[in-house]
Amino acid sequence: MFSYSTLIQAVVTGNHIKSVKLVNEALKEGVSPQDIVSSGLQAGMRIVGDKFSAGDFFVPEMLLAARAVTRATEVLQPLLSASDMPTLGRVVIGTVFGDIHDIGKNLVTMFLRGAGFEVFDLGVNIPADNFARAVKEYNPDILGLSALLTTTMSAMRDVIKALEMAELRSKVKVIVGGAPVTQHFAEHIGADGYGADGGNAIKLCRNLVGK
Amino acid sequence: MAITQKQKILAAARKQAVDKLPFGARIDVWYNYHSGHDTLPEKYRGWNIPDILRDQGVGIELRHGYLWKVEYRDTEVVVREDPPFTTTEYRTPKGTVSMKTMFTPQEGPWVPYELELPFKSADDYPAIEHLLKNTVLVPYLDDYLKKVEMVGEDGMVICSAPEYSPMQEIMRKIMGYEMFFYELNDHPSKVEHLYELMKGVVWQKLKILAESPVEMPMVCGNWSDDIHTPVFRKYFVPWFQEVGEFLHSKGKLTLAHIDGEMKRLIPMFLETGIDVAEAWSPAPMTSVTTAELRKAWGDRVTVWGGVPAILFEPQYSDEEFDAYVKHLLQEIAPGYNFIVGMGDNLAFDGKIERVGRIAELIDKYGRLPIEV
Repeated sequence: MFSYSTLIQAVVTGNHIKSVKLVNEALKEGVSPQDIVSSGLQAGMRIVGDKFSAGDFFVPEMLLAARAVTRATEVLQPLLSASDMPTLGRVVIGTVFGDIHDIGKNLVTMFLRGAGFEVFDLGVNIPADNFARAVKEYNPDILGLSALLTTTMSAMRDVIKALEMAELRSKVKVIVGGAPVTQHFAEHIGADGYGADGGNAIKLCRNLVGK
Repeated sequence: MAITQKQKILAAARKQAVDKLPFGARIDVWYNYHSGHDTLPEKYRGWNIPDILRDQGVGIELRHGYLWKVEYRDTEVVVREDPPFTTTEYRTPKGTVSMKTMFTPQEGPWVPYELELPFKSADDYPAIEHLLKNTVLVPYLDDYLKKVEMVGEDGMVICSAPEYSPMQEIMRKIMGYEMFFYELNDHPSKVEHLYELMKGVVWQKLKILAESPVEMPMVCGNWSDDIHTPVFRKYFVPWFQEVGEFLHSKGKLTLAHIDGEMKRLIPMFLETGIDVAEAWSPAPMTSVTTAELRKAWGDRVTVWGGVPAILFEPQYSDEEFDAYVKHLLQEIAPGYNFIVGMGDNLAFDGKIERVGRIAELIDKYGRLPIEV
């Protein structure tokens, strides 16, 4: 018989084969997809995030857990309309113009999706105006900007300016991250938040959307 | 005769006393960017990196890549150039794998960025295994020796070789970070097998290094906490112990390029026996301060770095910059086994004058032993 604790355990141990199997079992037993997401998958990712914050888990454990959630969610996706999917909030994310590094951005995307955020990943080397257009189109709660290079981090400032020009700045929280980015830099360019790593990004986004 | 910049850096690396803090500065990101955009300061147009650093009155840290050329037996290598992209296809009897890189030195980087790595799925194991078994490295030192001549006694040419430990080589150059951890979880014995084969390739590099004039090879780089601590303990620590023993027996020092978040790896670094931790990037770029690092390592590792790249940028005032450097000198007092340097480069919008300013502050406050 399906139990949430077993599904949570599958997520926490990063076992994607088991998470898919358990989700299928739950569906057969008539458990609602929404409950599977919120009481199973998202609950598991919350534990993973806490373990990361406590120093018990590392990025690879988060990565495996996020994969377990992603694969299980793929099973549920056809059964849930976009409005039925329990979500903590909507995030648009991308690596800024001139920068093609994607590892950090991909990790944050996976972690946020695993934690229950709806994430639109714009990719890498994104011009400032494209970020502004995406904010207009997707109406996200949060815009996440990534840069790995000291040569490109100043493009984050350009994105904030583009949002101001498009009169969108007040509609979205802007968070920044990447190797050379610091809290001081985030404040300096007028961002709303800074995440040192993927684990912190979840906490930061939760705080920004008040969940 | 006065001790040279190179002698000072090497003395600190060997944990020998020097009279004043050595400083080896690295500015290639700044230089490449401004050369590429024709925006070098008027005075420095047409100059090379060593001459600019000499003019700033500081020691030189110049980078060099490899000491070999790579050949593959029983493999057809097809290279397609479409600047800035290069696609390389390796056609082996066990299958074909390919990789794609992008190289835009005018934007700062000194090495190509890997857009696509050879390993795409578990189907690629046979071809990758074939490649590793048939990799032959042929010594080639000419370019390195030219740089050594250019720098002379005014600093060091740091050779990024062998660059990565065998497991990190698989992580970074074969699979990519995410895929590596999925594969290590899903197919551990296959990854272990690649690891054994990769060791053979890296040993070829080490043997070339051992016979070269390189004093302090970089045995590993681009570390951060993202290298899973249990993976580091199992695959990295024993490897560095073995490599250290070999290179020390050849009269070499070992150096690691530690330019990332190191909080969780700091305690384990001591177990590696690596002599020098270069590109140390403290808070605010990472979460650890230099004082915390020195407390954890004591005198057992020579640290090279301490001034994070971000401090050179205009968002920090000249007063804040001076205060940071002065504080750094206090943190490392009495100052032995320390080489001042950047963590890890001068950013494109960094102020070049601040490099020279560090030398002035060292002249004023960096006589050893530093008294707090």
